[in-house]
Amino acid sequence: MTNTPPADPPAPDAAAAGAGVATASAVFLGVRHHSPACARLVARAIETLRPAYVLVEGPADMNARLDELLLEHRLPIAVFSHYRDETRVATSWAPLCEYSPEWIALRQGRASGAEVRFIDLPAWHPAFAERAERYANRYADAEARYARATERLCAHFGVDSVDALWDGLFEVTEPGDDLMTRLDAYFDLVRGDAEADPGDRAREEYMASWVRAALARAGGRPVLVVTGGFHQPALRALADRDGPADWPEVPAPPEDALGGSFLVPYSFRQLDAFSGYQSGMPSPGYYQRLWEAGPEQAARGLLRSVADRLRARGIPVSTADLIAARGLAQGLTLLRGHPYETRVDVLDGLAGALISDDLDRPLPWTTGGTLSAGTHPVVVEMVAACAGEAEGRLHPDTPLPPLVHDVTERLVRLGLADAEGPVTLDLTSAGGLMRSQVLHRLRVLDIPGFTRVSGPADGADPVFTERWQPGRVSGREAALIEAGAYGARLDEAASVVLGERARDAGPDVGPLAGLLFDTVLCGVGPLCGELLGALAARVGRIRELGSLGEVLAAALGLWRHDRVFGVARDPLLGSVVADAADRVFWLAEGLHGGPGVDFARLRALAAARDALLHAPELLSLTREAAAEAAGRISRDQRAPADLRGAAFGLRWALGTPDDPAAAVRALASAPADTLGDWLAGLFAVAREEVVGGAAAGGEPLVDVLDGVVSAMTEGDFLIGLPALRQAFAFFPPRERERIAQRLLERRGARGSARSLLRTTADPLLLARAAALEDNVARLLDRYGLGATR
Amino acid sequence: MTATPATGTDTGTGTGTEELVQRPPAEVRYADELAALRAADGDPRPPGWQLSLRAARRFIVGDERAGVSRKFVGNAALVERALVTLATNRGLMLVGEPGTAKSLLSELISAAVSGSSALTVQGGAATTEDQIKYSWNYALLVSEGPSPRSLVPAPMLRGMAEGRIVRFEEITRCPLEVQDCLLSLLSDRVITIPELHGPQGLVFARHGFNVIATANTRDRGVNEMSAALKRRFNFETVFPIADFDTELALVEAEATALLRQSGVEPPPRRDVLEVLVGTFRELRGAFGQGERMSTVMSTAEAVSVAHAVGVRGWFLRGEPGSAADVVASLAGTAAKDSPEDLARLRRFLEQEVPRRKGTQWRALHDARHLLAD
Repeated sequence: MTNTPPADPPAPDAAAAGAGVATASAVFLGVRHHSPACARLVARAIETLRPAYVLVEGPADMNARLDELLLEHRLPIAVFSHYRDETRVATSWAPLCEYSPEWIALRQGRASGAEVRFIDLPAWHPAFAERAERYANRYADAEARYARATERLCAHFGVDSVDALWDGLFEVTEPGDDLMTRLDAYFDLVRGDAEADPGDRAREEYMASWVRAALARAGGRPVLVVTGGFHQPALRALADRDGPADWPEVPAPPEDALGGSFLVPYSFRQLDAFSGYQSGMPSPGYYQRLWEAGPEQAARGLLRSVADRLRARGIPVSTADLIAARGLAQGLTLLRGHPYETRVDVLDGLAGALISDDLDRPLPWTTGGTLSAGTHPVVVEMVAACAGEAEGRLHPDTPLPPLVHDVTERLVRLGLADAEGPVTLDLTSAGGLMRSQVLHRLRVLDIPGFTRVSGPADGADPVFTERWQPGRVSGREAALIEAGAYGARLDEAASVVLGERARDAGPDVGPLAGLLFDTVLCGVGPLCGELLGALAARVGRIRELGSLGEVLAAALGLWRHDRVFGVARDPLLGSVVADAADRVFWLAEGLHGGPGVDFARLRALAAARDALLHAPELLSLTREAAAEAAGRISRDQRAPADLRGAAFGLRWALGTPDDPAAAVRALASAPADTLGDWLAGLFAVAREEVVGGAAAGGEPLVDVLDGVVSAMTEGDFLIGLPALRQAFAFFPPRERERIAQRLLERRGARGSARSLLRTTADPLLLARAAALEDNVARLLDRYGLGATR
Repeated sequence: MTATPATGTDTGTGTGTEELVQRPPAEVRYADELAALRAADGDPRPPGWQLSLRAARRFIVGDERAGVSRKFVGNAALVERALVTLATNRGLMLVGEPGTAKSLLSELISAAVSGSSALTVQGGAATTEDQIKYSWNYALLVSEGPSPRSLVPAPMLRGMAEGRIVRFEEITRCPLEVQDCLLSLLSDRVITIPELHGPQGLVFARHGFNVIATANTRDRGVNEMSAALKRRFNFETVFPIADFDTELALVEAEATALLRQSGVEPPPRRDVLEVLVGTFRELRGAFGQGERMSTVMSTAEAVSVAHAVGVRGWFLRGEPGSAADVVASLAGTAAKDSPEDLARLRRFLEQEVPRRKGTQWRALHDARHLLAD
């Protein structure tokens, strides 16, 4: 080659002159991200074209750091980008594995002596803002947008998912097939159907300007453009248009914003679409094998690794099963007209032969999307076998993630770097609060160093100081580097971790209320909102009334009272309250059960009462609807007595009381302890109303109770006593005294109500003594000795 | 051999005229399509099969270009796996909630593979081995002794001798010991008739024989099946229709056809059907996970409610059914005999429906009092 391009782009005038002599041509290669077939195409194109420039879809602000990217890392790795300004926070990953077309373009391009450039807008650019997904993946498919076209194609080819369609059309094909033409046709078809949003158009304009600049400088040699297939038809059209042929400027983030990119190790588990990251192609482990050894080996390897995994888990897999699986897979391959077994053929074969149960949900590869709880264990292992276990590692020369520097600098600035004794923080002072937030953020990131000894336990807790104990510092740096994958700044990293925990909490909501408080403690500013959003989404799926009550009480407490952390009246907090309150009624009305008092569920109803009374503007549920629902619960004979009582109390608290006398008398015929349970529920929710005597007319409740209890037989009274005592424990001493006074008055007795309450012995003991006495008397009677009594 | 079952009683002639049959079997309903597929079938056929795998697949999932209607709304990979399974030496077990078209699928597959879906064993608590393998004509047995003439073959024996697919409906409702009589039959592919001597005493399965069993997950699940029998089957779970529009279209088509049969003139209203199908889907599971209805909320049930709604509206008021009719009919379907389900339905109407937008949802909410206590 005679005219090797200079390392730096030549000056524009020289380039313009060159363009006059020979017109360079651009070769547009539309790829699917993470597709081995496309990677192979890219490699072949570089080999045959020997292009002057290889332009790759990727953040242009990384161009200066391509050397860092091309160090000898162990893949997969990702370019992690983060951005934050007043109004917007964005983080994104651009994962690269060995068979990524982008990676091949970078490496092979560089190796062949071509100039390699990333040509897409930086990840923080507002053009990406429309991808609302928080954990955006640059190399996610635009699938959602061209769903209609792919649906038609799927229907035409009779397959269930885009992945199966793609494998059959492109990944597993006869050697020598004209992939390029087919790919072009495919992407023309899907692009023709999809709406490119303004963000896409901005990116395409920008990428096209790079193509024009490269063409002007290529000196007649080809320019290879490797982008997502979705953009390819548009780019081809845009690059032909006239425009300035200067290298486009790389947009810099605004003055007041923070942003940047750095490399992080990535893993196949993160890359696998089944486990959540929207990455376009699932099953990286399988495609790695496909890339290395071809379709036959990949199929065989998948079969073997599924069998190994299942056997390691103690799930029996007989030879006959494997023969059947293999036979099925081969049959499916023939039926579907594939030259070799594809991923889905193997998986279908395995599923058919190995699963001898009914499934709770469809096989994940037929529906796409993530694995959900309750997936058959065999299917889970199959998906894991497809995903592979490879984890990336960065070359030691790679610059450290900024989080490490950020934390070190913060600790020094806040005087926490070399604290030796316990640190006491005043949360009402700005400085104290800031320190507390930093320490809490480190805590949620599991960075060793500080342990919290004391501090406020919830939003309504009137504690304003916090104590922290410094501890071991070894391992802190390592932990920080790992945490660096969550974000560049401490607050951001903490919020990412909290967000992940919220999503991982699964159906178990025990930790949710705590998580909510953690979020507030960390004070992660606007990100708090997103976490609350995630919580709000989950609240609707909580099944335990008790834990739901905790969430509601915590959220409501913060919403009403929090001054220290500044989240009172936060609208998203409000939406958690609203959803939780709705859900409380849904769960409560479906709850049936036996005797006993469950304080957690009573607290849930009390929290719902508070929400209805103090935050009605938040709720979609009206007071009337709530009262109606409570009415239904309180009349439902199969609902537990404590819940019925609580529902009854709720109606009372909402100002639509029913006649307590009638309700109590109705209970008189039930087992003796029912009354106590019912009262516990009532007092838990409507204690003040009961004491205030704000009944709907008729006899006061205390009088009615007195009547019912007096009418009990001795035996019933003893059975019912523990429950009754438990119920009256809801009253503070002063109110109990007033009740006692009332009872004394009713009997016309005079005396100190206080002394009535202050017995010298435990009343239960007294009751037992009475029972014993009674027994003795009966025994005496039986032997005719009772006359002496 | 006539595969057509006996027709209505009052024909008396036994000619089996099709128009009098309430529901002709699949091979009769789709005789034209089957014939056309067979004529155009150029792909290799597994031995004993009437159609190639690809043609059979096309028959079931449909092929617009070839004028083949779509008969099974469900995922295509399932049908493919089912067909390939039948071409191997394992039986096919279709499991799933009631009303997910398992029996329809097994009927279609046997019609496509064997040209007939009539070899059917209906499982039940009273099913015996006689009804599965063979029994005797006792008059002949007494007068002639055991002979092929006095033998009365049951579906399995016929399926093996003729090389055809045998359907075993609701296999898990059979006693376990009866289920297990399939064991040797499925692994050795032979039935021994000890009463007959010589070669007549062994009936070997010809190519084309296999078994499609169906089992629903509500009555007695497949958990009680013996492991030995389980491993002779490949399991396929048939799921409720995943896509709202598909289900709506299916309910609309089926309900319209049923209503026409019942002499109801106006077709069902689409917005009412949307509310109906939406309610069914919510109650089926998307809403309030873990609180599944104990009653079956299948598409088939939705169709029958849609039918009832249309009939009520037309014959009571001379108009297509309304959301109020949906509520009235739901009480009978969704809450058959379970007070919990009725309560769940009530909660759904009281609490969940008011959040939905649309006049029909509002009408549904307003009609909630029609749910009997």
